[in-house]
Amino acid sequence: MSNESAGRIQLLQGTLDMLILRTLLFGPAHGHQIARHIQRTTDDLLQVEHGSLYPALHRLERRGWVAAKWERAGKDLKREFKYYRLTPAGRKQLVAEESRWKKLTGAVARIMWPAEES
Amino acid sequence: MRPRRASREQELDRELRAHLELEAEAQQDAGLPPEQARYAALRAFGNLTLTKEEVRRMWGWTIWDIFIQDFRYAWRILRKSPGFAATAILTLALGIGASTAVFTVVDSVVLRPLAYHDSGSLVVAWERVRFLGDEPVGPNPRHVDVWRKRATAFTALTVVRNMAMGLSVGGGHPRLVGTVLCLPNLFEILRVKPLLGRGFLPEDGVKGHDKVAILTYPLWQSLFYGDPGAIGKTIRIDDTPLEVIGVLPAGFHFPNANALRSFPSRQPKTGLPEPAVFFPVVLDVSQIEWNGNYGNWIALGRLKPGVGIRQAEAQLTAIQAQVLREMPTRRDPGALRASLEPMQEAVVGDSTTGLWLLMAAVMGLMLIACLNLANAQLGRALARRRDAAVRTALGAARGRLLWNALAENLVLAAVGGTAGVLVAVIGVTLFRRYSPVDLPRLAEVHVNVTVLLFALGLTLAASLLSGIWPALRLLSTDPQPLLQQNSSRALGSKPGHRLRTWLVGVQVFGCTVLLLVTGLFAKSLLHLLHQDKGFETEHVAVAEVKLPPKLYGAEQKRIAFIDAVLENLRAIPGVQAAGLVSAMPLEGESWIEFVQRVDRPNQEGPLVNARWVSPGYFEATRQKLVAGRFFEERDRNLNSVVLSEGEAKALWGSGNPIGHQVRVLGRTHTVIGVVADSRGTSLKSAPARMAYVHYHYRPPYTTFFLVRGTPGAEAFVSGMRQAVWKHAPDVTIARVKTLDAQLSDSLAPERFQTWVLTAFGIAALLLAMLGIYGVLSYSVAARKQEIGVRIALGATRGRVYALTFTEAGVPVLIGLAAGLIASLLAGRAIRSSLYGTDVVDAAVMLIVTGLFLVSAAAAAFVPARRASCVNPMDALRSE
Repeated sequence: MSNESAGRIQLLQGTLDMLILRTLLFGPAHGHQIARHIQRTTDDLLQVEHGSLYPALHRLERRGWVAAKWERAGKDLKREFKYYRLTPAGRKQLVAEESRWKKLTGAVARIMWPAEES
Repeated sequence: MRPRRASREQELDRELRAHLELEAEAQQDAGLPPEQARYAALRAFGNLTLTKEEVRRMWGWTIWDIFIQDFRYAWRILRKSPGFAATAILTLALGIGASTAVFTVVDSVVLRPLAYHDSGSLVVAWERVRFLGDEPVGPNPRHVDVWRKRATAFTALTVVRNMAMGLSVGGGHPRLVGTVLCLPNLFEILRVKPLLGRGFLPEDGVKGHDKVAILTYPLWQSLFYGDPGAIGKTIRIDDTPLEVIGVLPAGFHFPNANALRSFPSRQPKTGLPEPAVFFPVVLDVSQIEWNGNYGNWIALGRLKPGVGIRQAEAQLTAIQAQVLREMPTRRDPGALRASLEPMQEAVVGDSTTGLWLLMAAVMGLMLIACLNLANAQLGRALARRRDAAVRTALGAARGRLLWNALAENLVLAAVGGTAGVLVAVIGVTLFRRYSPVDLPRLAEVHVNVTVLLFALGLTLAASLLSGIWPALRLLSTDPQPLLQQNSSRALGSKPGHRLRTWLVGVQVFGCTVLLLVTGLFAKSLLHLLHQDKGFETEHVAVAEVKLPPKLYGAEQKRIAFIDAVLENLRAIPGVQAAGLVSAMPLEGESWIEFVQRVDRPNQEGPLVNARWVSPGYFEATRQKLVAGRFFEERDRNLNSVVLSEGEAKALWGSGNPIGHQVRVLGRTHTVIGVVADSRGTSLKSAPARMAYVHYHYRPPYTTFFLVRGTPGAEAFVSGMRQAVWKHAPDVTIARVKTLDAQLSDSLAPERFQTWVLTAFGIAALLLAMLGIYGVLSYSVAARKQEIGVRIALGATRGRVYALTFTEAGVPVLIGLAAGLIASLLAGRAIRSSLYGTDVVDAAVMLIVTGLFLVSAAAAAFVPARRASCVNPMDALRSE
């Protein structure tokens, strides 16, 4: 995997939380799974430094939007991973962030392409 | 908190490690060799350390973490100076313990409402009668009956009467209990429901239905061992059978009338046992005379909601005017009024002032403790100024620094406070068990939530008081000059030192006053104990026996009883003398009469205490005969009287009274003897004038038998009971005790006062010693270098000792001198409580001064010794 690829997009501030919450909507996942999922779904377009995921996860946990639990997983259930799970409050937060995001992109779009709006 | 944080760190490590491993495996699956895959995973992850930092920031430094961090720091610092920590904790434990204990009593006695429902609207009603001196007096029930009919300010009014009677169950001997004769509405007014059985019904006040009784919880426990089957059982009160119909709740207490605040001071204030049996009285008011029967009953009432106490009082006074107009009387009472006082005030009464005074004293002690601690902390703060300066220079937030300094005090206070609460609990328990002071509501005294909150508040206040000042000083230092200065020279600055010295001076002052006052009280008590009493208490036992009026109404029966018991008493082996007297020794003056010389009927006769005695009484008490003879058997029908020396002098001057006749108790008596004056009524007053008559004439219902003998008075106690009951099993033996015990009990308040003061004095002395020690040891530590230089320059050990002692000597001497002067003023204030002791007492002053100087020297010795042991090389090198 190359480290400096042109065309990769820096994540907008504040969107990482939303992406994490959205990812967890599919079910509990640990940090690595979340990172991989975001990369895979966007075809490596979004540049998410794996490290930046963890402060975000711990922040979400502290706010009560996700809950964490250590569980055994992997091939022979030998290793333990910290699985994050969406809480009801997290679900609500996701809806709120989603609508905010929609509003934001809508507003940006209206400025950028005024003609298409009619 | 600490393990949680550590485990959180571990968890984070695990979580990130797992991530890196997974990523490396994924890269390996993509075809990279293991080593490279690991690097690739790290690259994809970004800055690992920064990530951890970020995560930690997400966790946030909670206030709690700061608390914990500072507490841990404080704890470490304190553990490094165990001597200081122990001193501080001991000081706080003493201060908080004493204050909390006293507050417990204040809270339970003064602050807490009485344990009746809505007790705020309960009032005690008194009558004021002109010809009785207009002072509050227990009202005439007939007047109260009129009040009940006409007054609208009360939901109800009632009258009660406290008595002491003999209670027996089955065939047992009667024992003395407190009884309350009441109207059936008493418990309705108090709003108290019985725990078992029923309350009184209006029918219980009707003749023929009135033979019922309600018991208090403790009596039920001791009589029936808590058996619910007690309801319906029969008890006998002064030989009248009563059916038990109810038991009151455990927390119920009813005051004795003579313990109420406005109870006339002329009537005896003690001697009634705690009320335990309530029974209805059939009160036919038409049988009660209109102008008389004052002072036997008390009236209780409950105000209607919204009615003020003054309003109700005005209404009663108006009714009293009507009573006066309508009264068909031979003797005019002059004027009638009424006065009300809230029941709470009536019950708590005069103890309020004393308790608040005690509270003030103990808070003063607490203040000394805090000053002491502040003092020591100030020294420590100065020693840590450089440390604080470095922190400030490095950018420590001021608030954090302040909190840091306070945390140490909070730790100290928390430990000291906990120990203090323990001290308080023990103190209160001891107080309840041993308090000789007749304190109202004593049984209700216990540590509760309010008290614990008080202790908590006190602890916080103490830590703030003793910590904030040093902490602020720490903050106000400008780091710049301090950092440039050499550490040890910056210590012990002039203003700080002057301040600490002042604090020591103030403590010495307060402590001196306290010790001097204590000394005066102690001397007064010693005087009371060792003065010439005029009689001897050793080897004497006394028994109080009450004869039920129902069985002993005839004089002949009482005389027969007394004769028989005296005979039985004299038969006890070892008894040398046995006698009868009509009043308990050392229980105040009573039965006051006029005595007149028959040959001078117009001469105003002086007042005396009349006593009915038997032959053997003077021998038992060993009073000295001045002239004539004691009573003998032949005086039975001779109308003889024995006078005290003072009385004889008042009547005859230096003449010989023997053989003369006096008129006393409505009869002419011949003086057969004169005994030396004695303090038989009270050790605290001058010998009372006495007139002793033979018991054959109007024998008393309440009798006191005295025996003197060789095996010791203790041994006679059970023998006396047998001697009484052998003749008459139906009389009530109220108490049997040694005369020594009676003497000791009569001085119980003085003894208690002296003990409390002594405890305070010792505590204050200890605190002052700790204060001196604290100041000096820090001063020595701070001046270590200077002392080192002095020693290097040739100062002898003696000079170094002198240096340290002088430092403490100035504030101690000034405080001592000021204390001696102030104690003269304090002595004037307590003069009325001192007996045979001058306010300015050279011996007491000398002892206190000596004690103080020795204590101060002892406290100063340790730091002084430390100073003299300073090695000049070390002191100079440590720069």
